[in-house]
Amino acid sequence: MAIRANPKLIDELVPYGAEDVVKCYQCGNCSAVCPFSKQPYVFPRKPMRLLQMGLEEKIKSSIDPWLCYYCGQCSEQCPREAEPGETMMSLRRWLTSRYDWTGISRLFYKSWRFEVGAVILVALATVAGFLAFGFSQGSIHHYDGPHAFLPSPSIHIFDWTLAIVLLALLLSNAARMWWFTMGRDKEVKAPLSAYFTKAYLLPVHFFTQKRYSQCEHKAPWLTHLALMLSYVTMLVLIMFFLRDMAAGPAIDWHVHIFGYLATIGLIGSSILFLRSRITKSSAQYKHSHESDWIFLVLLLTVAATGILQHILHRSGLDMAANIMYVTHLALVVPMLGLEVPFSKWSHLAYRPLAMYFADVRAVALARQGQPESMPEPVGGGLRTA
Amino acid sequence: MRIGVFLCQAGTVPIDTVDLSAVAHYAANLPQVESVRDLGVLPTLDPSALADEISQDRLERIVIAGDSPGFFKPAFTRAMALAGREPNEVRLASFRQHGANTRNSTERAKAIVACAVYGVPFSLAAVPAQTKVHPATLVIGGGIAGIQAALEIADAGKKVYLVERTGTIGGHMAMFDKTFPTLDCAACILTPKMVAVGQHEMIDLMTYSEVESISGTPGAYKATILRNARRVDETSCVACNMCAEVCPVTVPSRFDAGIATRKAIYIPFPQAVPNAYLIDEAACTYVQSNGTKCGACAKKCPKGCIDLDARGDVIQVEVGSVVVATGYDVLDARKIEPYGYGVYPNVLTALEFERLTNASGPTGGKIVTKTKRFNKRTKSDEWVFDPDGPPPSSVAIIHCVGSRDANYNPYCSRVCCMYSLKFAHLVREKLPEARCYEFYIDMRAYGKGYEEFFQRIQDEGTFIVRGRSASVTQRDGQMYLKGEDILHDRVLEFPVDMVLLAVGLVPAEGAEGLAAMLGIPRDEYGWFAEADYNSDPTGTERGAVYVAGASQGPKDIPDTVAQASAAASGILKGIVSGRGVDSLGSLSLEDIEERAKTLVAG
Repeated sequence: MAIRANPKLIDELVPYGAEDVVKCYQCGNCSAVCPFSKQPYVFPRKPMRLLQMGLEEKIKSSIDPWLCYYCGQCSEQCPREAEPGETMMSLRRWLTSRYDWTGISRLFYKSWRFEVGAVILVALATVAGFLAFGFSQGSIHHYDGPHAFLPSPSIHIFDWTLAIVLLALLLSNAARMWWFTMGRDKEVKAPLSAYFTKAYLLPVHFFTQKRYSQCEHKAPWLTHLALMLSYVTMLVLIMFFLRDMAAGPAIDWHVHIFGYLATIGLIGSSILFLRSRITKSSAQYKHSHESDWIFLVLLLTVAATGILQHILHRSGLDMAANIMYVTHLALVVPMLGLEVPFSKWSHLAYRPLAMYFADVRAVALARQGQPESMPEPVGGGLRTA
Repeated sequence: MRIGVFLCQAGTVPIDTVDLSAVAHYAANLPQVESVRDLGVLPTLDPSALADEISQDRLERIVIAGDSPGFFKPAFTRAMALAGREPNEVRLASFRQHGANTRNSTERAKAIVACAVYGVPFSLAAVPAQTKVHPATLVIGGGIAGIQAALEIADAGKKVYLVERTGTIGGHMAMFDKTFPTLDCAACILTPKMVAVGQHEMIDLMTYSEVESISGTPGAYKATILRNARRVDETSCVACNMCAEVCPVTVPSRFDAGIATRKAIYIPFPQAVPNAYLIDEAACTYVQSNGTKCGACAKKCPKGCIDLDARGDVIQVEVGSVVVATGYDVLDARKIEPYGYGVYPNVLTALEFERLTNASGPTGGKIVTKTKRFNKRTKSDEWVFDPDGPPPSSVAIIHCVGSRDANYNPYCSRVCCMYSLKFAHLVREKLPEARCYEFYIDMRAYGKGYEEFFQRIQDEGTFIVRGRSASVTQRDGQMYLKGEDILHDRVLEFPVDMVLLAVGLVPAEGAEGLAAMLGIPRDEYGWFAEADYNSDPTGTERGAVYVAGASQGPKDIPDTVAQASAAASGILKGIVSGRGVDSLGSLSLEDIEERAKTLVAG
């Protein structure tokens, strides 16, 4: 098959954040310092090379960028300040935009104005929808009970509808991801059995992010894990225990303890990440794409308005609680509706998937007789007898 | 003749070394000049519009003045042709070519414009007046560059004062085992030259000395030289070593790059010139105790040539010219933590390996790994080279350590690729069973015979791996090297017994102070700046001060020797002709203008 080179690829990556790829002189220091870079996935040097050569399809079908957790060691030691870590991050953004079949992701990453505009638009639509719904049903002076402004059973139905739509989008994108990285690969055909035997890795990677813990600095891993676990906890609470959360006046500790922990996790870790990005405390926080800021600000405000409405409700200020509730929803809907399928939040699906695919593919490679690692140099050696 | 002067600036950076408005004003007042126009930075010139201007002002000669006026010549030539004038009457007044490229060069620029206006070549009008050049020369630094320059000048019958900071001349080259790519024995080339310097009747060798200050003008400098006390009379010392045998103080030997020890009274190496011992004040018990303790060497010396109470001396010399040949230092490898230098005993720098593999080194040239030994004095274990120690079964050489690296030195140190290949040869020659790996980014085999040398090393069975290795680690007493093998698309991590770091070169310590003393600039990395990279690579901005060797930038031995000889020829030219020492600066604007007028009339 002929390989097409896209000489403009390196420029096309600039809006996604990869600005210094041209500086790379291919010394391989980054690949060697990276704790994840092992056969058969050697990066970041190789993806940098593919970018320099404009091999768009090869990058589109590579899993490598998702195997990086961006600890920043490669960028710190890079002799050319070519920012390999940021390049991998940018490639993840670019890949997200390729997996997304709607094309919205591309627009988001290329123009922050478009993303912010979309967030505002969805927020306004949400406010309008819920106000109309609330006024037609209940009273703004009631938070829960039969006359509630936004009764939890209705919100529950809304949540599930939104979840199904998002899941459909995410799954279709994930299917495209599989096709690009695994399905269309003619050289390495992963056996179906490998998909099953390695399936346990998917939840393992998702819930433990254990590969991240192999990075030299552990703090980013812990913060990242806390944020993700808090988020998942909150998601479970909202999808299954919304009624108990909204009910009052007594606090149901079986449910609420998780809610409080998750809130602390979400607010704490998003503040930590925001602070790191503002102070540029280490290599991985030096470059922040607009999508990173939008995501973190949304996450923090969602968590803050969520806990505030709870506090207001418990304080008996039902009207204020209702107003805060609408604000909360106006932030939640764009955060979920836009960030999950089209922007940064999608990595919560792609990254564990990629790691799972990588392991499945490694099984296939091993079957084809390609050794997983050969630690000693080859070549050279005695050329003359 | 009606003349138009156009000031044009090529390039994107405006000329800031010359006051252009003053030049324009001056040019406007020159006879026959009709118009002066400053066209600014990188103007787009339209020949037909210029032709209109030429016709309007009835110009018969055009002078283009600026840093690179030749850039604009085609447009003006065409314009002259279009206006029906003589196209050959386009004259260039190049500021840069004629030396008006330093600060406050306005007067020079005026003179250059004047010559172009008169139609006289600048170099003809601006022949400098005779300046008396003192026939003696001061050479600072006694490495191969200083030795070569001193010998060239002295062999021509002119006096040379050679000032060397350490106790012997020879510099870094004396430490080397072999030279690349010929694999000649470095000492066999260097020591005869060193002896020649020591015995030359025209060379006044001052070792263990430093230049304190330099005053005066080009051709007539006065240098104050601090002669530190060797405390051993170098003329009567016969280097019998009896003093060192009784000396109780042991310190690391600088000449052996710290991998061996010497006494507080020492000779840097057996072939040192002058072949005499000296005392390391900082280590000597007698000196440190103000004469209350020890003094064993002075009692032992059969010739009575040790004077432990000797004091340093300051002398003044008059010289006409100066050669700066202060060489380089190697980068401190401790700065690059991932390579573990200073942490793992068998991670060595290039200079350490040179001494290890050198027959005059601590192991007699045997390549061995360090062995642990208990030091009774410090009561701790230390790693030392023992000639009977185990040889390494694998040696890895890491290129570009601190060079071509934005975190350390962005420049290429130029010699490391080749000396690393030489190391591979030495390892494979002495230990045919050992595996040797070269980790390189780009192989810079740029010189005569270098590419062939690279091929030879490959053929000898060295593993040449493209990739910059990232780290050295140790597990259970075994070192591991991690790096990417780019050409085979693999990350390697494999055991090695010895790691050699091809450390880059940095300007020698004290270069900054010397530059300030001499009034010559250094480049952004601290290397001495030459007058012109292409046309005057050994001259400096200061008249009769020359640079040679690695003090001007990293370079190998052949280039160093060539540059030292070139510097010597520049100095001899100045001494013999008695002119040219102040890079044309001896003529004033009025003089040049006067001479130009005479030439036109004549």
